[in-house]
Amino acid sequence: MTHAIASIFKLKLPGFGMMLMSEAAELPWKADVLAARRGDRSAFEALVRSVQRPVYGLCLRLLANEAEASEVAQEAFLRAFQNLSRYDAERPFDLWVLAIARNLCLDILRRRSRLQTQDVDDMKDALPSGAPTQEEGAIAHQERRSLEAAVGTLPADDREVLALYYVQKRTTKQIAEVMGVAPGTIMARLFRAREKLRKQMAPAQNQLLAGEAP
Amino acid sequence: MSTPTTPCPDLEVLFAQLTEGQGPALEHSKTCVACSAVLEEHRELEKDLFRLQDPFPPANFVPQVMARVAAAPVPASVELKTGFAILGGALALAFVILVARGATAGQLGISVAHWVVESRAILVGLVRGIAMAWKTASVPLAGSLAFLLALSLVGLKKLAGTDVPAKV
Repeated sequence: MTHAIASIFKLKLPGFGMMLMSEAAELPWKADVLAARRGDRSAFEALVRSVQRPVYGLCLRLLANEAEASEVAQEAFLRAFQNLSRYDAERPFDLWVLAIARNLCLDILRRRSRLQTQDVDDMKDALPSGAPTQEEGAIAHQERRSLEAAVGTLPADDREVLALYYVQKRTTKQIAEVMGVAPGTIMARLFRAREKLRKQMAPAQNQLLAGEAP
Repeated sequence: MSTPTTPCPDLEVLFAQLTEGQGPALEHSKTCVACSAVLEEHRELEKDLFRLQDPFPPANFVPQVMARVAAAPVPASVELKTGFAILGGALALAFVILVARGATAGQLGISVAHWVVESRAILVGLVRGIAMAWKTASVPLAGSLAFLLALSLVGLKKLAGTDVPAKV
């Protein structure tokens, strides 16, 4: 329908047509959300497919357990489906589901009552690095593993902000929206998390260098 | 790079000024070997962090989500909408029947008028009965009413608490 209107206006009023086209590009989930609200399950499935990776990824980084992460991510999508009528379609759908998933993860972490003693061994192989090209230079496998391990030892709020900023490449405004904090605080949180990570990585890097030495 | 005359700033201050693009701590870091080294380590760390990616969810993730969605009870809002639609449809149908059959409408009007006249007498009797009861046993009556009110409020609170909304 939107496309039909856009195509009509594109012929007669190019500016307006372009506006509709750009709106559709900015809100790619809107049509699916509206269809899902009317009970179209396939539209909701399309929404799940489009955001499953970041949602599951955040859950895994927070919970450090694949089975639990999968369970919580599924629950987040279910709650999203059940509360679609409350969702403001002008807001990014992925951020909304991420916020639901984050709250569920934090509930579990609170229940665990051991925020800083996560077992990261299971996570090392589950969390991949980006496919590196020869030009940009790949980080060594062991380096990547130690980086993932070091990230895994950080408190949940640090892991979360690092995952959203560096792994998911979100803006500080988007991160603030997911975390429910002021956007101005994100850069400071990022710095603190990175500083903890740097200190965490220092002994590991020394070990790595000692291992490489003849 | 020369040795700066000022002491090394707090790292958080330095990074705040790095974001802003100016400040004395930033000026200090340009000439300080230790601060430059820390900044460089952070830059390297950022490069490595940007290379990390989210893992893929399990292969059966989407089917599992959709199975849960299919098994989930229909949201209350949808049930409410359906209920109102059925009620509206039934009322509209009744109205159409009444309008279409004038005699039925007339009969209904007479029935309503009878009911109004009779209910007036019932209402007057009820009010008198309550007034008498209040005169003879006001304290037990007030106590019973307060108990009923409290019970209703507790019930309503429990009902409101059963459907926990998704935290967003």
